[in-house]
Amino acid sequence: MIREMNVLFNGQITVVSKDAIVVQAIPISGGMLPEDSTVKKLMNISGVATVTPVLFVTSVGSQALVQAVPVNFTMGIPVDDWQLVLGPIPLRPSGHFPANDSSNEIVAGASIADQYNWTVSSDIQVNGYTMRVSGVFDTKMALLNRCLVMPLTLAQTIYNYPQSVNIIAVKPLQNIPQQNLTTTIKQGMGYVNALTETERNDIVQPVLDQVQTWTLGIEAVVFIMSLILVMTVTVMSVSERRRDFATLDAIGAPASYMFRVVITETLFIGVLGGVIGIAFGSLAAVLLASFYTSIPVTLFFPSVLEIVPPIYMLEMLVAIVGVCCLGGIIPAVNAMRMRIAEVLRAEY
Amino acid sequence: MKIRTVDLTRTFRLGSSEIAAVKAVSLELNEPRFVAIIGPSGSGKSTLLNLIGLNDYPTSGKVFVDDADASQLSNRERRKIRNMRMGFVFQSFNLFPTLSALENVELPMSLAHKPQKEQREKASRLLETVGLTRRHGHRPKQLSIGEMQRVAIARALANEPEIVIADEPTGELDSKTAGDIINLLQDVCERAKSMVIVATHDEKIVDAADTVYALQDGVLRQNS
Repeated sequence: MIREMNVLFNGQITVVSKDAIVVQAIPISGGMLPEDSTVKKLMNISGVATVTPVLFVTSVGSQALVQAVPVNFTMGIPVDDWQLVLGPIPLRPSGHFPANDSSNEIVAGASIADQYNWTVSSDIQVNGYTMRVSGVFDTKMALLNRCLVMPLTLAQTIYNYPQSVNIIAVKPLQNIPQQNLTTTIKQGMGYVNALTETERNDIVQPVLDQVQTWTLGIEAVVFIMSLILVMTVTVMSVSERRRDFATLDAIGAPASYMFRVVITETLFIGVLGGVIGIAFGSLAAVLLASFYTSIPVTLFFPSVLEIVPPIYMLEMLVAIVGVCCLGGIIPAVNAMRMRIAEVLRAEY
Repeated sequence: MKIRTVDLTRTFRLGSSEIAAVKAVSLELNEPRFVAIIGPSGSGKSTLLNLIGLNDYPTSGKVFVDDADASQLSNRERRKIRNMRMGFVFQSFNLFPTLSALENVELPMSLAHKPQKEQREKASRLLETVGLTRRHGHRPKQLSIGEMQRVAIARALANEPEIVIADEPTGELDSKTAGDIINLLQDVCERAKSMVIVATHDEKIVDAADTVYALQDGVLRQNS
């Protein structure tokens, strides 16, 4: 979701209040910008192609929709500029986008709409204002699926930010480097901060890198622990069946047969354990996501493959099977090298 | 198949001392006969059978299989001989608990890469021969100990071995079942023209055997 914030403003500079704390493109605290004057000033800067004022609010306002973890969002965008920010978004059948900026129509993300049973023409109330849902959009972006998108003036009215915005997206003219333009903007307008796409990524990159490092560390520990566990269990299993392996040897089974028996068993355990583990892991991810967001579990199930992508499941399965095979090698070699006479003698 | 041992000795190290389980045993077995090796527990019977059955290596001396020095054979060749030319019957049956009676009997044939159909037909026939017509699908736990030993004998006969080596085959059986198993082994010797070598202290087997060897403190002597 953090990365999605930047995707919305792909190829654009974001201008925010100088004292705003920004995560990717979204100001999570800090001052507002006066809409008209700031837009005018930006339009006058050479190299600017388009200017889009946006009001981004991290809840849809009504008490019922506010969560401990912000999972509902509102974006107010001038109707003519929706495509610039949202790109081509497919609406569910019979939906349409608001006709003009004075409209009281909004478009809702599929997830939030499904959660509250909103359909096209549903009337909803936010902060005492009644609005009509004119469309529901389905997108793979989790942020947009939890978003109400409405005309900017409507958002400003509902959330009581008259003539104010907290993000202004600036698209540079072709051949104008983002970096040059941000410098010009910052120099010409002392009260704003302008960030290029790269700078916005750089804000969160260290945090994401840290998270990735920790994740890798945890994965490595889990990998080693699993390897030791699989090896221990397989060593015990082979040890308990010493007589079986000795008997196999006595009746002429080749060493490779014993090796295959052990590796096949660990492979089977790996595949079975992997499939069960991934199923339970995915279920746990959905339950946790539901717990922390208060979004019903049923809404998460259709998008379980987005929460835990198939490629990640496949990677996990391959890793688990790999760990099991690796863990089975030493016991398999032990089974191959078993000295029949000693084992058979020890059994009596 | 001819088995000959020359001054076969097998010692085991037990802490700082060395124990000779088999001492300079010279023996020649080359006819389809019922041979019993008798002796008290710890006299070296199982060790001698393991050496003859190519399951173990002597400390000194030689085992010859058809005049070929077994010590010169590769592991692969030894396994092949054990699989194709020898059959083993153990005191505790050593059946595979997860396999049915039929599958247990099929296993040596499967290891010899015999066609699946042939394995099934032959295993069925062998189980019928040992009197287990209706026990094909039963796992070892569902069989009585007498039936388990019959399955073990059927398994030993799967690849039509020239020698069946049985280590205390009646050791865990009651006297009636033991009698049945002895008859079965005698039958194998006569009908399949296989040499049967049995390590035992069961008097009934001694009575049934063509040749009896006694092993005392690792030293072998012929009784009859």
